[in-house]
Amino acid sequence: MSSKEKESMQLLQGTLDLIVLRTLATMGPQHAYQIATRLQQISDRLLNLNQGTLYPALMRLEQYGWIKGTWGRTESNREAKYYEITKAGQKALKEETQDWRRMSALVERFLLEEP
Amino acid sequence: MKRLRRIFVKFYLLFANSKVEAELAREIGAHLALLEEEYLRQGMTSEDARRAARLAYGGVEQAKQLHRDERTFQGLGQIPQDIRYTLRQLRRSPGFTVTAILMLALGIGATTAIFSIVEGVLLRPLPFPDPDRLVILGDEGSHCASCTQSNVTAPDIRNYMRDTQSFSHLGGYRQRLFELSGAGDPAAVNATRMSGEVFAALAVPPVLGRTFTQQEDEEGQQVAVLSYDMWRSRFHGDANVLGSKILLYRKPYTVIGVMPRDFEFPLNPGNVRQSELWLPLSLQPEEFTAGSAASWNSRMVGRLKPGITVEQAQSDAERVAQATMRDYPAYMRSLRIHAVVTPLHEDTVGQARPLVRTLLFAVIVVLLIACANLAGLLLVRAIRRRREIAVRLALGVRAATLLRQAIVESMVLSITGGVIGLALAAGALRVGISLLPQTLPRVDEIGLDWPVMLFALGLALLTGFLCGLAPAFAAIGTSVNETLKEGGRTGTSGSGHARLRSALVVAEIAVALTLLTASGLLLRSFEKMRDVKLGFRPDNTLAALYVLPQQRYATQSAIDEFTRTLLNDVGQLPGVDAVGITSFLPAAGNSWNIAFTIEGYVSPQGAGLNMAAMSLVESDPFEALGIRVLRGRVFTESDNAGSQLVAIVNRKMAERYWPGQDPIGKRLRRGMPETSTPWMTVVGEIDDVKLESRDAETMPQVYQPVTQTVTSEGVFAKPGELSAADGWIILRSRMAPEEMQDTLRATVRKIDPQLPLYQMQTMEHAISTSEAPRRFNTVLISSFAIAAVLLSVLGIYGVIAFSVALREQEMAVRMALGGQRSEVILLILSSGAKLAAVGCGLGLLGAVATSRLLRSFLFEVSPFDPSVLSLSAIAMLLLALAASALPARRASSADPMLALRGE
Repeated sequence: MSSKEKESMQLLQGTLDLIVLRTLATMGPQHAYQIATRLQQISDRLLNLNQGTLYPALMRLEQYGWIKGTWGRTESNREAKYYEITKAGQKALKEETQDWRRMSALVERFLLEEP
Repeated sequence: MKRLRRIFVKFYLLFANSKVEAELAREIGAHLALLEEEYLRQGMTSEDARRAARLAYGGVEQAKQLHRDERTFQGLGQIPQDIRYTLRQLRRSPGFTVTAILMLALGIGATTAIFSIVEGVLLRPLPFPDPDRLVILGDEGSHCASCTQSNVTAPDIRNYMRDTQSFSHLGGYRQRLFELSGAGDPAAVNATRMSGEVFAALAVPPVLGRTFTQQEDEEGQQVAVLSYDMWRSRFHGDANVLGSKILLYRKPYTVIGVMPRDFEFPLNPGNVRQSELWLPLSLQPEEFTAGSAASWNSRMVGRLKPGITVEQAQSDAERVAQATMRDYPAYMRSLRIHAVVTPLHEDTVGQARPLVRTLLFAVIVVLLIACANLAGLLLVRAIRRRREIAVRLALGVRAATLLRQAIVESMVLSITGGVIGLALAAGALRVGISLLPQTLPRVDEIGLDWPVMLFALGLALLTGFLCGLAPAFAAIGTSVNETLKEGGRTGTSGSGHARLRSALVVAEIAVALTLLTASGLLLRSFEKMRDVKLGFRPDNTLAALYVLPQQRYATQSAIDEFTRTLLNDVGQLPGVDAVGITSFLPAAGNSWNIAFTIEGYVSPQGAGLNMAAMSLVESDPFEALGIRVLRGRVFTESDNAGSQLVAIVNRKMAERYWPGQDPIGKRLRRGMPETSTPWMTVVGEIDDVKLESRDAETMPQVYQPVTQTVTSEGVFAKPGELSAADGWIILRSRMAPEEMQDTLRATVRKIDPQLPLYQMQTMEHAISTSEAPRRFNTVLISSFAIAAVLLSVLGIYGVIAFSVALREQEMAVRMALGGQRSEVILLILSSGAKLAAVGCGLGLLGAVATSRLLRSFLFEVSPFDPSVLSLSAIAMLLLALAASALPARRASSADPMLALRGE
């Protein structure tokens, strides 16, 4: 594993949690496939992500107590695990969003200063 | 907060692993099904849809692994699984597993057994409360230049006890053989006469009754304290033993107490001379006069007062020693002493330390070689499994996981080996303790106790961890792409690993050679010792000690009557060729050195006293022992109390004091020049007799008729002193000496039914006992050396065989291109020889480095003995070559066509 790949993974990790939370907050309960599809739609397929890599993020969020997974059925009557944002998750989303905004604004400011 | 919650969840999931795994699999399955459905809807065939779904999802196993890494504490949760995995792997290669475990079991077992000796003898505190405060006080000086321990005289005991201030308790003691009767068969028992203060200093309470006090000691009360063993064996553990009477040399003593089972004092080397009885020292008036005042035949033990150091106690005692010297009678004027205070622990174990250290060193060498071999074997496995490891790395296994698995594998082996090793050590100790030399103190405390078990376990864990590191890093270093691309080819890869293995083997050979040299030097010493002339012929000779109790043999005429009857009766037994009595038995190591004044001989400045070993003889022990008479004559009946005083000297004595002259007719006398003693005339010169073991230095020796002892002692003689009350009766027979034992016993019983014979033994047995310590060192170190050499040869075989297996193709190509078989053989042999040569070079350096440790065990052999060093190195090289010859032959017999087609 080269060091370059490692870096991009790390960068992704913090943001992936936020994106998943945000998706669940706006779209209601979703299963992993739906979340992945949604990510691709929003990112205009720029974010080329193996769908499997979503799982650690989902599990992490569940362990924090921010989302909760329950088994349910899709429209086509297939079983799937639906994730739903919890109250703690709502709160965390607010904080994380603020953090992210502050951070990206900060980074933006640095980038603007470039001649 | 969220972190804390996560830690709990993660910890919980350690135990709910299978449930979560199933859930994960179900979720991934559902996900894939949904993806597939989507692709089907887009109009793909079901085959294509499934493939597309997989592609979109990415690696299922990698996702699972990522999930696992996130969800719980990685290492911990996986260890049970790692162990299962390891067991599965090991079952698949039983040959490797058994070899590895046995190797470790031997290494750990031997190390544990030796460590239990180190622990019992050297490390464990002495079995007394506050043992660090106990010290031995004694004199060193001109009276005894070659003494190994510091002793005191009877006046010293009185003076030190009265005049020192550094000790809360201080007392003297002296070990002696006593004839015990009045309870069961008469027997010889080891007893210790000691001041009442000694019990107070040792501070160990009795299990039954009480110990005696200093006051009882001074009053001369006849009381006895029994050892636990004595109480159990002779008195059947009867609690009513207190108050009963026993006879010691036929004088009654009252039993007042029994000491606990583990009480041992004095702490003698070996386990045969342990004290079975403790009696008051009760010094008699005559012990302060004449010769007794100049006999350093006792020792002193004390407990330091709180806050007093050993140095302070020593200067305090030195003051008393100076005063003692000022008060010396005229005949002791030239003696110089100074006081020495030694911690009791040091006094007890100091002598045993070099032996125990050497053993530990040897056994650790064996263990290191076993470890290096195991690491080598594991490394080979790691190299063989490179493809498997590459595949696993490709599937997302992390490096830490591989490291953990390698170490778990090695630890499973080492702990199994450790447990088997512990069992081996227990077995070895059961047999081995009886074989330990009698020069080792505290042998009863050797055993597998908790510290030893912990040591073995710790050793197993450490071994496993260290051995696992090499293959672990080899596994991590595997390059996925390279290995998988290589396909089926088993090229000459992993040169880094090969270098590591070679280094291991070189190190093995080096340490094995060091040990082999040590063993060679010891064997050579043993051989040299066996070449030393004893000065007597030990075949067909039987000896036994008797001590006549004063109660019954109170007059010189009673003693003489007994001796005359004994010599006469034994001399008339059928098959007896010669009989004699001597005060000290050759080879028994109990000789007695006294000072002599030689007429016309001026000692060089600062040479000290003229010491010689003194033996008192009766009849003709020279003939019975087969000692050669070089000049003059032996003693006859007419050399008696009334005639001219005569003496026989040995060759060493004659050469030292009358070099180049005939010693016959020269005169010498007992004591120092200022002592008034009568002259004795030398009438004979005999061969040098080994009174101690063969490897001990021969002292100048003087022999005297026992009947002339009292006269020759002059002022040393006590009033009413008796002579010849004890002695070794020695007989030479035409029959095997073992067959004479019962006859001799019966003869003595006929003269005095109550008199026991002690230490009856053939002279061959006496010699074998005196050689036992050296034999023990030699056998043990040699067996370690053999183990080390075998293991290292196994190591070099492993390396060469494996490199041959890897280079089979290369060899086939060489041969297909016209290479000769002999060239192939030479190629392999030379790679083995190279390793061996480097190892031998280092090993010789190691031998030089360890020479200091070994020097004290060598006898007339230099630690750099060129023949031993070169022979060991040549043997090691040849063995290494032999070990490489087998794989070399295999390589050369490879069929070129088969090998080429094989790919």
